Amino acid sequence: MFYKAFCILTLLMPCLASAVTPEERGLQIFQQADARASGFQDLEVDLTMILRTGRGDESLRELRIKQLEVPDDGDKLLVVFDTPKAYRGSALLSFSHKVEQDDQWLYLPAMKRVKKIASRNKSGPFLSSEFAFEDLTAQEVEKFDYRYETSEVLDGQPCYVVTRIPKDEYSGYTRQRVWLDEAEYRVQKIEYYDRKNSLLKTLTMNDYQLHEGKFWKAGRMFMVNHQTRKSTELIWEHFRFRNGLSDQRDFSINSLRRVR
Amino acid sequence: MKALILGMVLLASSTSAVAATTAETSTLLVFGSFRNVQNAENWAARLQTLLGTTIVVAEVDRADGTWYRVQSLRAETLIARRAESRGIPYWRLLDSEVALERSSRAVNPQAPSRNPPPIRIASETHPDPAQHKVSTRFRTPADWEVDLGVQSRAFTQSGFAGQDRFQPSVSARLEYYRTWDNDRQSLTVSPFLRLDVEDSERTHFDVRELFWSRVGDDWDLHVGVKQVFWGVTEFHHLVDIINQTDLVENIDAEDKLGQPMMHLSLVRDWGILDFFVLPGFRERTFAGEDGRLRLAVPIDTDHASYASAAEELRTDVAIRWSHHFGPLEFGVYHFSGTSRDPLLTPWLQPSGQWVLRPHYTVIDQTGLDAQAIVGDWAWKLEAITRSGLGDRYAAFNAGFERTVVGAFGSRTDLGLVVEYLFDERDDEAFTTLFEHDIALGTRWVFNDLSDTQALIGFIWDVDTDEYVINLEASRRLGDAWTLLLEGRIFGGADDPDAGALLQSLADGDNKSASLQRDDYIQIELTRFF
Repeated sequence: MFYKAFCILTLLMPCLASAVTPEERGLQIFQQADARASGFQDLEVDLTMILRTGRGDESLRELRIKQLEVPDDGDKLLVVFDTPKAYRGSALLSFSHKVEQDDQWLYLPAMKRVKKIASRNKSGPFLSSEFAFEDLTAQEVEKFDYRYETSEVLDGQPCYVVTRIPKDEYSGYTRQRVWLDEAEYRVQKIEYYDRKNSLLKTLTMNDYQLHEGKFWKAGRMFMVNHQTRKSTELIWEHFRFRNGLSDQRDFSINSLRRVR
Repeated sequence: MKALILGMVLLASSTSAVAATTAETSTLLVFGSFRNVQNAENWAARLQTLLGTTIVVAEVDRADGTWYRVQSLRAETLIARRAESRGIPYWRLLDSEVALERSSRAVNPQAPSRNPPPIRIASETHPDPAQHKVSTRFRTPADWEVDLGVQSRAFTQSGFAGQDRFQPSVSARLEYYRTWDNDRQSLTVSPFLRLDVEDSERTHFDVRELFWSRVGDDWDLHVGVKQVFWGVTEFHHLVDIINQTDLVENIDAEDKLGQPMMHLSLVRDWGILDFFVLPGFRERTFAGEDGRLRLAVPIDTDHASYASAAEELRTDVAIRWSHHFGPLEFGVYHFSGTSRDPLLTPWLQPSGQWVLRPHYTVIDQTGLDAQAIVGDWAWKLEAITRSGLGDRYAAFNAGFERTVVGAFGSRTDLGLVVEYLFDERDDEAFTTLFEHDIALGTRWVFNDLSDTQALIGFIWDVDTDEYVINLEASRRLGDAWTLLLEGRIFGGADDPDAGALLQSLADGDNKSASLQRDDYIQIELTRFF
């Protein structure tokens, strides 16, 4: 009897699966990806940005980043600028939120001034790079609508392809096509479509390494702008997890002012 | 002979495609050669992380056997500089050598020659990847920074007292920072010096900061000489009061003198609460007789007077609560102490020359700064009410800033700033030029590799028709240099009457009279070390 019920259940499973709409499937994939990426508590990492123009001119920016996981809300980020030397001591504090607008403050050391940035600026370039603010701040699941498209092999890895549509009217994109590998739900590639719905940029993420036995982090990201031929490469180094960072000590306006 | 690129270690395919085409014309950097392919790949992977660029392994056959050479795809100074800063040895492979490799490969790419190739193996040393351990970019416990600046001002005409049209100067700012106790304690030392060729008052030294900090879990304590800024508006910083203005540096009042203080800051769920005890007072700096951008009557800073019997040794206090929720953020404070703005009292010297002597009264000032960000719009308000300087009076700046991201289909962010500056004292407000003024500004951020930006502003007194046009523009020249351009045009007021200087200064409709001959452009080149 039990065996028979089990058989019927297994026969039904494919039907159950197909009953899931592409929207639900897309959401499930990102929920799974989010679940796998959460629980890190806090991390510190060094970032090098290499900006290149179509002509081959290069410029380098070196940043240090602290990130804090906030239960039931978006993450907090503190970014400190090391080079170019003219910006030494400048820093950015960002609070992501699941639904409301993110909060961002910039610290300008020459005047000791903390300045809040309008959220509309999220679609603007981050430090003149091909990354917009919104590409780098925490990508909360709630910020998008999803639609599963297909599964395909990308660079030898079977991947889900999901389209996600930003809910925020101030986003610079109409949609993003995201490739996540089926094995670990890591983002491998994102295509960004601008407000006119034409392909603007492609991001590829490589050199994934496993940290703390649980967290996959890309060591390299490469963003190319198809419309300007400019590109930006990000190199993430020295991931350090669970440093005991505290909300009030490390992620307040005060910490923005005194950070070095 | 073959020179075969074995693997693009850990690399995005798109990056290598771009880089490889460039490599056809460029010289390479070689970071070492190995007999063992695994060693070469390990070293390449390590270098890739350390240098942040594509590092490949090339197989090179020579009479003495096969070598695996670790090399870059290009010989950019950026890569070389990073290698030097990390103590990684490298050698340059010349264009001719690369060309030889390529031509010999082209002749017979399939059959490697056994003749010794003319190319350099560059190194038979075997760099040890372990020597280049992961080092975080955390600042070392002690750190020096130096900025050196060369500045020149050019005025359209000589001053009303015959001051020179050109005003060159140099400046230096040092900053020493040291942290200990697990970053819980730190020391900051930041002296500043300017040497001005024309104006002896502008040649000055100041300790901008010299303080010790202790950081607790939800509090900070700072003791020493420090700078603190409050405010949200762009054209005039009304609520900012802790530090005295270093007016000789720039008449925009954005340069400040160091203020001795004990500053305790509490971080709570309901906001940040700051307590300040400010022992000692710093007098405002004013341009000297030979300087420009000054009042028509010289200011005698050697004979300042005070309302307080303790004079410049009076201890001032301030308290401020700041918080943010949703799109709104604000700060409310009260300050009790010596006014940072002096009254200027005419004084007849024995020589028969009139001077103005600064007189510092004791004031109580309550202030508010608030900003609400709604979509594209940032609404801003600064307001104060002050007593102790004649009758109690109020003043405010209010306005908005709107940013257009990607203006005109470009990468440029265009900011539009509109502010209204009001002071209840009207024309009696001799400590400020802004009593009923409209300010308009555009901020251009070009988002290019040189971080070019410009701010063009226009402040217009709606009652008296006096105006100031402001230009500030900056761009980086490479990693360590910055070029700053600044210019101002003053208009709408009459020149001061040489026969009745004091009377013309007392004319409330003509407060900017002294500046009418001071239109200028300033170029400043700063080198960061």
